[in-house]
Amino acid sequence: MVKEIERAGIPVVHMCTVTPISMTVGANRIVPTIAIPHPLGNPALSLEEEKAIRRKLVERALEALTTEVDDQTIFEV
Amino acid sequence: MKLELGYIQIKDIQFSKECKVDNGTLYVDPDAVKAYLYEDDDVKAWVKDFGFDIAKPGESVRITPVKDVIEPRVKVEGPGGVFPGVISKVETVGSGKTHVLRGMAVVTAGKIVGFQEGIIDMSGPGAEYTPFSKLNNLVVVAEPNEGYQDHKHEYEHAVRIAGLRAATYIGELGRSVTPDETAVFETYGIKEGLEKLPNLPRVAYVHMLQSQGLLHDTYVYGVDAKRSLTTILCPTETMDGAIISGNCVSACDKNTTYHHQNNPVVANLFAAHGKTLNYVCNIITNENVYLADKQRSSDWTAKLCRLLDLDGALVSQEGFGNPDTDLIMNCKKIELQGVKTVIITDEYAGQDGKSQSLADADPLADAVVTGGNANEVIILPKMDKVIGTLDYVDVIAGGHAGSLRPDGTIEAELQVITGATNEMGFNRLSAR
Repeated sequence: MVKEIERAGIPVVHMCTVTPISMTVGANRIVPTIAIPHPLGNPALSLEEEKAIRRKLVERALEALTTEVDDQTIFEV
Repeated sequence: MKLELGYIQIKDIQFSKECKVDNGTLYVDPDAVKAYLYEDDDVKAWVKDFGFDIAKPGESVRITPVKDVIEPRVKVEGPGGVFPGVISKVETVGSGKTHVLRGMAVVTAGKIVGFQEGIIDMSGPGAEYTPFSKLNNLVVVAEPNEGYQDHKHEYEHAVRIAGLRAATYIGELGRSVTPDETAVFETYGIKEGLEKLPNLPRVAYVHMLQSQGLLHDTYVYGVDAKRSLTTILCPTETMDGAIISGNCVSACDKNTTYHHQNNPVVANLFAAHGKTLNYVCNIITNENVYLADKQRSSDWTAKLCRLLDLDGALVSQEGFGNPDTDLIMNCKKIELQGVKTVIITDEYAGQDGKSQSLADADPLADAVVTGGNANEVIILPKMDKVIGTLDYVDVIAGGHAGSLRPDGTIEAELQVITGATNEMGFNRLSAR
């Protein structure tokens, strides 16, 4: 999906946990997330803490979306 | 470490008023087994009732949903007992003498725990795809207590323990039976091995354990594998039940407890040990759902391979999808330490076989053994008898809405069959 959307000319950030697979399949902007069963949350945290993490991840993704890249890039959080 | 296995061939199972092994027949009193299962508090808390049935090779019988398959064994000499840390007390096993009731298994089945239990057909085309159709199976069908839907982990634990307890009870019946055949398995200490087999390549088995959590779990001496770092086992430890399955993962490529007890990679490395190679040890590592865990565990695996001065490593996977990354990380990092690898996996290449087989790949993974394509579609004929229930055929992994057809036949992917594409190479499917 990431590659098809980019082929249509729209930049994509792939937010995922297993970044090596994302690299293998050819995503260009990658933001690492929490865990496979809960990529954008963490049931071990309180609601407030979880919300803060989500905001951080989304803000990082938006930043990645607007950053020029020459090669596949992982935007560490 | 040296272990002698004494094989007692079980040719038949019959229900009886007494429990014994006599002249190759297992006589079993279901009420006695049931009473033993209920001595466990967790079993008592979560299992409403147990049904018992016998399934023999060639019968028109379908067992589903299958949770685990276990071979009954009993420790007759040496330290520890079977399933250490779970049934027996924690003590290092893998030495002394163990009796094996070969040719049979305890199969746990019944109302679904997760959505990934499987099917064992005792005859017909489906039987060709599962090694368990060739065994005499004592099937323990568990019925959950009310409210189990909200307590699936507890229920899974109870059924897991029940299966292991049933196998322990049956295994005990072989304690004083004279085995039909014995075999001795021994690996050496590091220095000892170098002295005894100075010119043979040093090979270890990297045994990846399913540990994704949410009912995808494996236990080592009772320790949840996802909470452990990569470590070393003597190969004979697995033969005494040091590793057990707590998996409700896709049936075709999950390692049941029986697979761990009879791991063919271990068996084949032992067959070559001292002849063409020096079988150094098993390295067990996990398949967790956090990237940091994947990084850490595969780093550790590669480090141990180097520390042991290996020449080669065989790496087997369990499950598919994101564990493909653990597999590739292990392979790549071990190769970069100068140790040759062969990986054993299976494929999800689509029903037409044309899609990418693994989710991850690397040029260093240049020696691959496959257990077959799990997406391959198969039609299973109606069976005269069902042990368990057909209620879940449409929803187990590999099934689809309408898998169970009105005439009683089943159309599904090989994924539904227990052990069909096993990644220890336990089954007969492969590709060139």
